[in-house]
Amino acid sequence: MPDHTHTHPHPQSHSALSGPARALRLGVCGPVGTGKSSLIALLCRELASELELGVVTNDIYTDEDARFLRAAGVLDPARIRAVETGACPHTAIRDDITANLMAAEELEADYAGADVPGLDLVMIESGGDNLTATFSPALVDVQIFVLDVAGGGDVARKGGPGIERADLLVVNKTDLAIHVGVDAGLMVTEAAAARDGRPVLGLTRTEQATVDQLTAWVRAQLARHRTGDLVPQDPGPMAAHSHDHAHA
Amino acid sequence: MTDAREAIHRDLVLMLLADARLPVAGHTQSATLEPALRAGLGAGDVPGYVTTRLRTVTRVEAATAVVALHHLAAGLDVGPVEAAWAARTPSPAMRATSRSQARAFLRLAGRLWPETAPVLAVSAYRAPCRAVALAAAAASLDLEPAALARLVGYDDVQTACSAALKLLPLDPADVTGWVVGALPTVDRLAGEVAHLTRPEEIPACGAPQIEAWAETHAHTTRRLFSA
Ligand SMILES: Nc1nc2c(ncn2[C@@H]2O[C@H](COP(=O)(O)OP(=O)(O)O)[C@@H](O)[C@H]2O)c(=O)[nH]1
Ligand SMILES: [Mg+2]
Repeated sequence: MPDHTHTHPHPQSHSALSGPARALRLGVCGPVGTGKSSLIALLCRELASELELGVVTNDIYTDEDARFLRAAGVLDPARIRAVETGACPHTAIRDDITANLMAAEELEADYAGADVPGLDLVMIESGGDNLTATFSPALVDVQIFVLDVAGGGDVARKGGPGIERADLLVVNKTDLAIHVGVDAGLMVTEAAAARDGRPVLGLTRTEQATVDQLTAWVRAQLARHRTGDLVPQDPGPMAAHSHDHAHA
Repeated sequence: MTDAREAIHRDLVLMLLADARLPVAGHTQSATLEPALRAGLGAGDVPGYVTTRLRTVTRVEAATAVVALHHLAAGLDVGPVEAAWAARTPSPAMRATSRSQARAFLRLAGRLWPETAPVLAVSAYRAPCRAVALAAAAASLDLEPAALARLVGYDDVQTACSAALKLLPLDPADVTGWVVGALPTVDRLAGEVAHLTRPEEIPACGAPQIEAWAETHAHTTRRLFSA
């Protein structure tokens, strides 16, 4: 039997790695269909030549996201791991992050040998949940909340912890704005107003300038992580305040 | 949390360890119920499924935990206990699941009771099984063998039943009734294994059908639960 146990000093020592010593962990959350997997695929395509990447997906019912990313051919399939959440995508990123932490650590450990470069960036995609789901700062160092214009112009105004306080809010698919009767510029402006100056990025994969802004932001987070200046911020589970303008 | 034994009533320890809110990835587990339902079991079969587990795979796990507790409390090597469990758990998928759950549990136990000898001893193994990991906490917190066996049985029942609620159209009150209905069997199981101390006494009572379902599940791409 290949699986005998051996005494081995501190098997989980890699989990003790924190701060700049390990890969930057970037969380990507937001409702289903807003473009989380696409954004991760985009980052893989843009960054794979300069950074060592890994991805953890939290699919709700299948390993669809992991397969989507593997099929996209932007990253070695062995670097993409799927975590089952037992229909609890929110729990898996917030109140019991164990399965995700273990997946991220295993991924990092698998690429931590003397003969391979360690990972620089591990992206964790949450199973698309509702507007209240955000990552625990014990799981990710920094997080992106993804909305899209097709969800309606007032979603950003409605707020919520991710929209208001994620490190970056992405308003995705701005190319679709004209088709769904949404003013993308206004949506970004209103989101910025709800975020007390935290960054908002209007993104579409069809416009390289917006993609460049996204990768620049990620590179900046990695730089902060490496100098030890990145302190994980918790968007929190609650809305911080209510807005004074009326909306549905 | 330097002295884990200080001032914690055993009832509270048991409640803590049995609580689904314990962050040990319990929400990823279905006690192999997901593939069992896919293979054709229906809602009405769940109570029988739970009882079958208590008589077979869960009995092995409970007995392993009790024997490991004895070894840890006596300062003995748990290696032979682990080996006895592995020999009685023929499904590689079930062994992998148990070891992954152990890792999840030990990372928590290592944070909560880092200096206790049993947690240190078990954490030094490369991939202990869940029963041995639970025994490490039980030994650190002075839990009795019967209580540990009840914990293993109870947790298994709750894991399958709460997964049933996610997988089938059921009334949660009915499902809690199934849990209550299984409690006497849990208690009987605990009574039967609590006195065991030697690895060779761990019963070899697997359930080939459950093991086959566990294997199938490990290779499916459409699943809600990890196992
Ligand atoms: N038009 C357009 N569609 C996009 C863009 N980004 C993603 N999509 C599409 O949005 C759909 C959902 O994307 P996906 O990444 O699977 O969303 P997820 O559920 O959040 O992971 C897919 O059909 C994508 O092709 C974009 O920038 N523009
Ligand atoms: Mg996705």
